[in-house]
Amino acid sequence: MTSSIAFKPFIGLRQSAPMKPYTNNQTSHNSKPNTKFTIRASKTSLKLTNRNLRVAVIGGGPSGGSAAETLAKGGIETYLIERKLDNCKPCGGAIPLCMVGEFNLPLDIIDRKVTEMKMISPSNIAVLLGKTLKPHEYVGMLRREVLDSFLRERAQVSGATVINGLFLTMDIPKNAWGNGDPYVLHYTEYDGKKGGTGVKKTLEVDAIIGADGANSRVAKAIDAGDYDYSIAFQERIKIPDDKMKYYENLAEMYVGDDVSPDFYGWVFPKCDHVAVGTGTLTHKGDIKKYQIAIRNRAKNKILGGKIVRVEAHPIPEHPRPRRLSGRVALVGDAAGYVTKCSGEGIYFAAKSGRMCAEAIVEGSEWGKRMVDESDLRNYLEKWDKTYWPTYKVLDVLQKVFYRSNPAREAFVEMCADEYVQKMTFDSYLYKKIVPGNPLDDLKLAVNTIGSLVRAHALNKEMEKVSV
Amino acid sequence: MSISMALFSSPPPSPTARSPYPSLKPHFTHKFSLSPQPNNNNNNKKHFLFPISTPKASSDNGAGISGASATVDEARAEVKVSEAVKESSVGPNGAVAVVDGEPIAVTKFVDSKWVDGTWDLNQFEKDGKTDWDSVIDAEVRRRKWLEENPETSSNYDPVVFDTSIIPWWAWVRRFHLPEAELLNGRAAMIGFFMAYFVDSLTGIGLVDQMGNFFCKTLLFVAVVGVLIIRKNEDIENLKKILEETSFYDKQWQAAWQDETSNSTKK
Repeated sequence: MTSSIAFKPFIGLRQSAPMKPYTNNQTSHNSKPNTKFTIRASKTSLKLTNRNLRVAVIGGGPSGGSAAETLAKGGIETYLIERKLDNCKPCGGAIPLCMVGEFNLPLDIIDRKVTEMKMISPSNIAVLLGKTLKPHEYVGMLRREVLDSFLRERAQVSGATVINGLFLTMDIPKNAWGNGDPYVLHYTEYDGKKGGTGVKKTLEVDAIIGADGANSRVAKAIDAGDYDYSIAFQERIKIPDDKMKYYENLAEMYVGDDVSPDFYGWVFPKCDHVAVGTGTLTHKGDIKKYQIAIRNRAKNKILGGKIVRVEAHPIPEHPRPRRLSGRVALVGDAAGYVTKCSGEGIYFAAKSGRMCAEAIVEGSEWGKRMVDESDLRNYLEKWDKTYWPTYKVLDVLQKVFYRSNPAREAFVEMCADEYVQKMTFDSYLYKKIVPGNPLDDLKLAVNTIGSLVRAHALNKEMEKVSV
Repeated sequence: MSISMALFSSPPPSPTARSPYPSLKPHFTHKFSLSPQPNNNNNNKKHFLFPISTPKASSDNGAGISGASATVDEARAEVKVSEAVKESSVGPNGAVAVVDGEPIAVTKFVDSKWVDGTWDLNQFEKDGKTDWDSVIDAEVRRRKWLEENPETSSNYDPVVFDTSIIPWWAWVRRFHLPEAELLNGRAAMIGFFMAYFVDSLTGIGLVDQMGNFFCKTLLFVAVVGVLIIRKNEDIENLKKILEETSFYDKQWQAAWQDETSNSTKK
């Protein structure tokens, strides 16, 4: 079966953009020494007279906040539009170690440093991961409301204008690729009064970054297409102190058909309670059943707990078909940058927001020129090239190890191996797929196949037996 | 919409019925009997009497218990331990949470050979050597049981069994060899009749057939084919796998497909 779309390597993917007949303002730049791409201000870039480039960032989560900060620091007139400034986004809340360094996060916004992870198989075989972690390494658990407001405030301090408003729609200029007619945003501004209906306003900007999450309105406005999404359902449970001690630095992942047919259930420690949840793509209607199952599997450890909050949210499974159109680009969950297998999204949201903003800053020469779709394409190209291996590897892991109970048993068995733990944590904490020692890789491959074969053999026998 | 899970705390255990948990060793010769409780409705379930390695003795709070009078018996079977509503298996394994006052029957996997979260290999001995087949059988039954009755994981009673303690040759002997025999038999039958058929058509005997390059190629294809496609369903499975491996790539590539069509529009 040949796919009609050949998988092209990402380098050299873009056809060289057609030269416009008039090149009155064309400047050609040699590639800057610290970037790999030739940065060309677009052919039609007009030098902006007596104003800087105006960019609106719709959505004030991690992606919006970091995009707005980078834009503002790059000298661009930035507007950050967020509908709910005190939003407690339902979220696992885990960030890798590299995010703390890359985004200069102060340590006091991290509620908990998880240094151990317990994987529990369908037959309750429990494996503890974390002995390969160095003393300074951890997975940070935080509250989204704390992180989001921190990033937004930093953007504001850097010069962005934060608007409390709800984006409604946008008027796309007829010739969005052409001479730089502005986009007109329509939004409702809230004046801070709770329950107020808000005032309808418009805003003219030159480019838009859609950072408004999984149900992105910006994506709808630019006809970005749909993606498959899974549902993550979570209950926040306050458990007695002695039980909470067990989760001091430990998070748990439960796999099994009872808990989720294609994902995992989790118990993640938060500031003073635990979040118990599960998710699924293929059987969204049964999510309540899966939630009961995860509560059952963790029963002994959360006994005596009181449910304080129930929340759910869609999680994209893959990027949207069109991640940008004209001078509008999508980042974060709006673009669909959630990894498979682990369902991680915060870091990729923040990083993509930053990357997109950087592409705009460079393409506009620090706000002095109009940008073009090709400048935004630079961001897509860089993103895909940097993170494609990560996404692909996680996709393969999910396809191989989450497909059935025997596969999950093999998965948990493999996690007991020290080499696996080291590779897993290294790639998770630093977001780099580092090839390990080939001999160890070979041993790992043999062990993986062995585990899978054993688990499937047991499963075949299980079908013959009825207990 | 907040549901509060009421804590159903177990009353303090009666000292007589409680056994010390962590230092538990399987007491097979132990006659374990408890005085019948007034509204003990569980003892009638115990029509099979087997030694229970982890007696879940309960307090006399009027609930049934799992322990029953045990007899020494070598036969292995799981003891279905049903605990009624107000039942609490005393010990760190916690009490049953009663949600909305509805009774929940809780069952737990118990087996005489399942000790401390793993299979006690000493009990699987036959003629002085461990009978790996029975270990495999036991694990199969445990997993089947848990698949149908998922159980809470526990910190005090962790499961630490690893299938790799069963040596590789036990797996080969049990699973690989029968299938290999089957496939080899099929291949031999096909081979014999193909050789006969070619001989009847061309007159070339078996030895001369093997000398021909084309025949060697056909033989290679046949061997590989039998290895990969063992059942009719395998063809469909292979096609599906091929599609699956490229699906995610296509989803990511979609943004770039859009560009090529856009640039022609410009």
